[in-house]
Parts: sequence; C-alpha cells; structure tokens
Amino acid sequence: MILRLAWRNLWRQPRRTILSLLSIAFAMGVMVWLLGLQQGVYGQMESNFMRIVQGYAQIQPRGYADDPDIDKTVPRPGALARRIGTLGLTASPRGSGYAILSSGTRSRGAMLLGVVPAAEARLSAIPTAVHEGRYLRDDDGAAIVIGKSLADNLHVQVGQPLTLLSTAKDGSVAADVLTVVGVFATGIGEIDRQFAELPLSRFQATFALGGDASLIAIGGPSLKAVDRRLPALRKLARAAGLDAQAWYELEPGLQQAIHLDASISVFWYATLLLVVVFIILNALLMAVLERTREFGMVLALGARHGLLGRVVWLELVLLVAMSAALGMSGGSAVVLWQAGHGFALPGGDALFRNRGLSGKMYPALNAFSLLTGPAAIGTSVMLSGLFPYLRIRRLEPVSAMRAV
Amino acid sequence: MMRALFAVAALLPTVLLLPAPAGAATSDPTAPDPTALINGAMQQWRGASSYTEVTMTVHRPDWERRLEVQAWTRGDDDSLVRFTAPPKDAGNATLMLGGSTWVFNPKINQVIQLPAGMMSQSWMGSDFSYDDLAKSTSLLTDYTHKLLSDEPADGHRVYTIEALPKADAPVVWGKQTVKVRDDRVLLQETFYDQDMKPVRELDTTRVAPLGGRVYPVEMTMKPLDQPNRWTRIVYTVGRFDLKLPDYLFTHSNLRNPRPWKLPPGTTP
Repeated sequence: MILRLAWRNLWRQPRRTILSLLSIAFAMGVMVWLLGLQQGVYGQMESNFMRIVQGYAQIQPRGYADDPDIDKTVPRPGALARRIGTLGLTASPRGSGYAILSSGTRSRGAMLLGVVPAAEARLSAIPTAVHEGRYLRDDDGAAIVIGKSLADNLHVQVGQPLTLLSTAKDGSVAADVLTVVGVFATGIGEIDRQFAELPLSRFQATFALGGDASLIAIGGPSLKAVDRRLPALRKLARAAGLDAQAWYELEPGLQQAIHLDASISVFWYATLLLVVVFIILNALLMAVLERTREFGMVLALGARHGLLGRVVWLELVLLVAMSAALGMSGGSAVVLWQAGHGFALPGGDALFRNRGLSGKMYPALNAFSLLTGPAAIGTSVMLSGLFPYLRIRRLEPVSAMRAV
Repeated sequence: MMRALFAVAALLPTVLLLPAPAGAATSDPTAPDPTALINGAMQQWRGASSYTEVTMTVHRPDWERRLEVQAWTRGDDDSLVRFTAPPKDAGNATLMLGGSTWVFNPKINQVIQLPAGMMSQSWMGSDFSYDDLAKSTSLLTDYTHKLLSDEPADGHRVYTIEALPKADAPVVWGKQTVKVRDDRVLLQETFYDQDMKPVRELDTTRVAPLGGRVYPVEMTMKPLDQPNRWTRIVYTVGRFDLKLPDYLFTHSNLRNPRPWKLPPGTTP
C-alpha cells in the first residue's frame, strides 16, 4: 500500500517528477559515458602500447628486467613457445640487445631485436608500421628494419648498408653489416628513434647466442585474455627457471600514468556528483515544503509520522530507480554506439598518437563504467532524502496545515 | 677507475703541468694536499706518454676470457688501444683523440665513431667503460678533494681521499673515494652512485716496478652489485715518457696498423 501511495504521489505532479527524473537520469548518463570513455581509453592505451613492441606479456630470464644483459638468455625458446601456444596464446622468441648502428660517419645507439618475422606479425604492430620498403621475411639474412627517426638520424635509406657494433654473449665483439630493407613509423617517438629489428637467426649468430633467445614476447586475442592466463604463464616460466612479466611489470610507467589519471579524475567525478546531488536535493526539498499543508492534513487524519516519512522516501527511491533505468540505458546506448564508431576529440590527434592511440577514442562498457556513476548518484540522492524524511517526522499537524 | 682504465690502457698522457708534488714520495707529517696526492698518482700512472702491454681477464659466472692488449698514450687525451689476442678479438682497436672515440673492427673492416651517449657502455665486454678510458683527468678536474685519513700500512703511509663532483661537472658518480700510497701508487678507487651507495671498486692487487717506476701492475675492477663478475688487468710491459710518432694516433693507423717497435732502452 505504501508503494502504491508513493507511486500515486509521484504522478500527482507529473511535471515536477519528470523534471527531477530527467535531471537525475542525465547526470547518471553522463557519468556512465565519462567512465566508459575513460575505461576505454585506458584499455586502448594499454593494449595499443604493449602491442607495438613489448607484447602483452613476456617470458624472460631471471633478473633480466632489472639488468637486461646479453648474457642472460632463454634456452630452447622454440619448445617453450610451443607450450605457450597450447595456452591459446602466440609466442615470439626474440633476441634483444643494445648496439651501435653506424652509417658513413654517423652512428647512434639503438635497441636491437632479433625476431622471427612470421611470429612477430601476430603480436607486434611494427610489421604493419613499415612505410618504406618492407618488413623482414623469414628467409632474410643480413637484413634490418629500423625506426624512422633512427633512419633520419643516421641518414640511411632503404637498400643501404648499416653497420652494427656491440658485445656478444661470450664477451667478444659483435659486429655485422646489414642492409636496411624497411623503415617503420609507429608514431611513438621513443620507439621510432631507438628500435631496429633483424632476423633472430642473424642476431643469434652475431651475438653468439647459439640457439638461445633473450626473451619470449607473448600476444593473444586481447590484453585481458593474456592477463587471465598469467598464472599459467608464471607456472610455465618457473618450471623453466625463468620469469613471466605482465604488461604492467614491463611498462610500470604506463600503469602509473593510468593510475595518476584515474585518481585525478576521481576529483572531477566527486565535484560533478556534489553539484548534481545539491541540485536534486534542492528540488526535493522544495517539493516537500510545497506539500507541508498536505502532510499536515494527512497527519491530522491519523497517519503516523513514520508512515508518512516512509512514503515520501519511497517516492524518492522510485524516482531514483526510474532515473537509473533511463540514465543507464541512455548512457550505455551512446557508449555502445561510440565503441563501434569511435569518438574523435578535435586537436587530440598528435597527443593520442604518442601514447599509441589512434586519433579516435573508443569508450568501453563494463560493469564498472556502467554501475559506478549511477550507484554513487543514487546512493547520495537517497541519503540526502533522509533530510526531508527527518523534517516530516517533526511536523505538527495543526501548524503544518496552516503553513502557506 | 678512469685512471684505472687509463692505467689499464695505460693511456697516460702528458703530465699535467702541475708541479709534481715531490711530497708524494715523502712522508710529510703535516697533512698533505689531497689534490696533489691524486695528481701524483696519476702522473705515476701515465707519464707524458706511454706504451704498455696488458693482459685483461674478464670473468663472468659462466665463462672467463683472457685478452691481450697493446696501448699507446700521448698527453691527457690521446690514446690507441689494440687487441692482439685471442685471434677472435685480435685487431679490434679503440682510438681516442681529443674528446672523440673511434672503434675499428677487422671483421667488418670499418671505423665507427662512438656516439657520445654510448660512452658509459662496457668497453670490449669488460667491466670498464669507454668513459673509464677517456676521462683521464676527470678525477682531478671535475672533483673537489678532501683527505679523510692517513694510516700506516706495510711500511708506507696510505692516504684516503674523498672526491666529490663539482656542481656542474659532467660526471655520473655521486662521489669517489681513492686510496693513494705515499710512493704515488694508487691502491683503490671506489665509485658511488648518486645515492652514495658504492657500486664498483677498482683494487690494486699487486705493486711492482714497471718501466722504472713503482707501479700498480695488477688491478681488478669489480661491480659491487653483481657477484662473480670482475675484470683484471695485468701490466706485462710498460715504458713511459718515450717519444711516440704522430702517425700512431691517426684513423689510418687505427684501420691499417703501421709497424711500430718499442725503441731500444732499458728493459720494461
């Protein structure tokens, strides 16, 4: 009966109810959209950035992360890669080392990766970022692809020779002359300026690695899918005396940047929430004050204060519930549409590109982005509804009926 | 260690024009000047010019290699270091002229100029860096020196000196401590990072006469955070203050060594 009373009360003043409903629903919808956008961009940053070179996870020799020395290696990487394949993930054994690349009188330090071209194509963005020449092929020998800024700094072009100088695993000098077959541009300055890739077999010969690799980069259907298999990867790595590194261990800076951004935006959300709650509270309070005479009458007819208070509070709950339904469906409709089509922010192109994002942002809908905003607003509104409730409990029937 | 390296490579350049404090050799009971002590050790180490032959042992947990090196130095800045053994490494050479460094590798038959950013990289796979080879006078010019202690040991006095980098000095270390013996022999050099944690140490493990001077003929460089890794250099031949032809310190001699023989003189 209380429920029916509350429901009817709501619709005795349809205009007021609809206005309140729309404002709460709108605030909730905006929160759903903002959080969805944020979650989506974070997800994009993580997976796009990791996809460029690192992979979604890696298996490395123990202690490699702290001190990536050429003499720390992964023995028999092929067998391990096949076992990673049985987890439904892709694995690409790599050699990795720092070297001097030199062309003519110019030379630069560079991060060299020895790669298996076919395997790289399945987990790295570099094969598709080649914009001059071509990517490595499995039958390549003395070939190298290098980042665009590195090529510019060395004044080297596709087809020209490049000299490599470093220290091999056995302590001897690693030296080689390779031909540049391709130049890639990922848009990430650090990578285009520092990275170069050559065939793993060539890397192993030059750096005296024998059949070993420096690490195994791991890809999969998505970053989350790889994260879910981390326990299995860690077990596999431990059994081989190696370490598995999740994306956030490989790029702690990226995760910290995301955490920082998230904690800053919490303040924005809190501000938004506060403003919304005050607006709504104001409307509700006005509504209660407006009805003082009515409440006095009902009390005079014998209704208990508690009952009346509960009816009014229930009105609020109904209002919030309807708003939530409307706001969440509206907000998620926009998020879902944009998740498919992307959302472009004018002027953000270069900024995003440097973080491994395309110019468009793709919001993501998940339980967190869908529920957090509406739950926070709903809870705050219902808590602030205690205020009119307490007011009603103090009403005197006689004076209330006389109120204007 | 730079000196060490230096020493290593024996690139010891011209004596700085600083008046050699004879004090290095005397045991002046009044507190000696720490800068003069270091300068004395440096001079002992290099000379106006030098030729040395060095055996370098690089030790790693999994392997150990022995390399043989010839080194010529002229003044503070110029040096040529050439590997003569084992066959796999023979012919590799490093030339430093002024502030620039070139590397020659016989396999690819090319001379490569070392980018400035690579100077802190390992030199030929050892625990010495190119910086160690190059910054011969850094300890003297980039640091301020303070005498920490003065203790007797084995019939000598051993001075411990703390060297703090000057405010704008281009050095990577937080500080260094140096032990110098009263006969101008460098006994130990410890390198601290910016957190003042010791990160590597060069120790003199044998002192003997070489080329007419008392010399730290065996030294070991050890990274302190990595067990079971070190590089030891042993001087087998040393001649100092000799006249070296200019062609030694040229690109063409780096690539195509011209024959050069130790001039007759006292045996090393």
